[in-house]
Amino acid sequence: MSDAPQEERTPVSLATATSDDPHMQPLARDPERTERLIAIAMFFGILGIIGFGVAYWFNADAWVYGFTMGIGVLLLGFGITAWGKYLMPKGPFVEERHELRGTDEERESLAAAVVQRGGGILGRRKLLGGVAGLGLAAFGIVAAFPLVRSLGPLPKKTLTKTDWRRGSYLVDSTGRPVHVDDLAVGGIVTVFPKGYQDTESGQAVDQTVLIRLTTENFTTRPGRETWGPAGYVAYSKLCSHLGCPVGLYEQQLQSLVCPCHQSMFDVTNGCVPTFGPAPRPLPQLPIYVDGRGYVRAQSDYKEPVGPGYWERS
Amino acid sequence: MSASLTRRLILPAMVLGTTLLSGLALFSGGGASAEPGTTAEPLLISSKVATAQAQVRAIAPPAAYQTGRENSGSANSSVQVYKNGSLVSYGNKHITYVAPPKDLIPLGEALYMQNCASCHGTKANGVAADNTPGGYPNLRGLGPATIDFWIESGRMPAADPREVQAGRKTPKLSTEQAHAIAAWVNSLSPATPYIPIVHSPGTADTSDGFSLFALNCAACHTITGGGDALAKNTYAPSLRNIPSTQVAEAIRTGPGNMPRFTGNLSDEQVRNIVGYVTGNIQHPVNPGGFGLGGLGPVAEGFIGLALGVGILALIGFWIGDRT
Repeated sequence: MSDAPQEERTPVSLATATSDDPHMQPLARDPERTERLIAIAMFFGILGIIGFGVAYWFNADAWVYGFTMGIGVLLLGFGITAWGKYLMPKGPFVEERHELRGTDEERESLAAAVVQRGGGILGRRKLLGGVAGLGLAAFGIVAAFPLVRSLGPLPKKTLTKTDWRRGSYLVDSTGRPVHVDDLAVGGIVTVFPKGYQDTESGQAVDQTVLIRLTTENFTTRPGRETWGPAGYVAYSKLCSHLGCPVGLYEQQLQSLVCPCHQSMFDVTNGCVPTFGPAPRPLPQLPIYVDGRGYVRAQSDYKEPVGPGYWERS
Repeated sequence: MSASLTRRLILPAMVLGTTLLSGLALFSGGGASAEPGTTAEPLLISSKVATAQAQVRAIAPPAAYQTGRENSGSANSSVQVYKNGSLVSYGNKHITYVAPPKDLIPLGEALYMQNCASCHGTKANGVAADNTPGGYPNLRGLGPATIDFWIESGRMPAADPREVQAGRKTPKLSTEQAHAIAAWVNSLSPATPYIPIVHSPGTADTSDGFSLFALNCAACHTITGGGDALAKNTYAPSLRNIPSTQVAEAIRTGPGNMPRFTGNLSDEQVRNIVGYVTGNIQHPVNPGGFGLGGLGPVAEGFIGLALGVGILALIGFWIGDRT
């Protein structure tokens, strides 16, 4: 390209700027006064920065740091911006562009070079082309690995089973078993199967709310006549929508409310959802009261707890 | 100059305005700071909901059953003090439950007839003088703590009995008057819990209090205790500026839609929760200097948008303006 004739380019002409030019005048009508104002602002900005140093030295409250540093940076920034805006030449300035199009000779010689050399290079290196193609294919396969591996270990039975067993004691977060005389009517407690109150699976899938609705046996759905001894009913605390802990119990409305998306469940009717996005009732844990008065589980939940998954709508 | 000033202010003003308006719309929905309904329209809605609520409420029992667990609010406690054959106080080193003095009973009866009987009935059994069907709550057998809580938190006498939920307001009656009414109502059918006095909540185990608060309270009252809207026009009130006795009373008696935490929490645990609420919740440490009511990232986002982006837009317009 060194043979391209430089002198054929369109010459760029810039008028020589003089201080008399109106474009070179500052925007401010009274530059002296503006300069003083900017100086004052920046002076106070400097005071703010120094104030930050003093505050830091004397270990002041956090808000003093923020206030002094904020004032300092704000006023200095204001000064610099105002300087550029009001005291620099206001313009506008126009700079002509040179012709963007190359000359015909330049264009032809470049095109010829690309066709000639490119064809030679690509045609001569079949091996490299093959290896590069192989590399790209390998990259594509490896790139799919995270999609498979990051799904984690297989859930196995944890989706359908919890740690609740026949005879599991219902214990609170401190491990204390719940006695039938404990809860007042209108009371609620979060319970776990004994031995699992501190475990990951206990916190994740076993958490259950135990509510006392009345003092007499309570049937929430047909077929669950023995599930609510002495007015106690137990439901999974995992919302059937997305698995949030359903911890809001409104005892007059007899509703459990999910704090995430406001799904409401009717506690007296098998926790059927009455409002919100939850698609299924909360699973109820069948419980009984043993001979010494402790509340225990009849069995595990009869259905998977928590939100739906691929084999469950 | 004025025309260009107007032009230059339009966009920032729109940014600020829409952000503030949508913020207002969003937060006025939260019941925590909502005023009790004073206009006609909300009352209509409220009464409808109240009717539906009354139907649901039929399932709720009269709540005579308290708890059999030791040291958790019932008379079954370490210390019991009898005077002239009647239990005047009980409790333990964490909380003492005190019965309102019996010599206040005549005063209590007079105050009750003036302030409460028009709805709850002259016999305090929820049958109003005009035999209104659908009824008002029966006050018998609830225990002095319940009566004291509703009066001392200003919820009773109610501003409007048709409200879905009576809001906290400046109490109309003094503490002594509240105790007097509680004494008279309790004399009709004696019950516990008595009025809880929490012993030095400032020295409670607030770490345990926090865990229990997170598990039992935060779902409705939020983790910062700011309160939040619940279902069907109800809301969990803010826990700021509530004295320790009322916190303990609410836990033990379960006012309104709040569950009754009797039996599942020991007196020691209640004291820890009260210590956490009256300490950390009511006197939060805000390292940033401005906690925004502890409402969380939504509030912070709106403040950031309204103040931050609005001011940045103004500065941007000022820098870019060349005329």
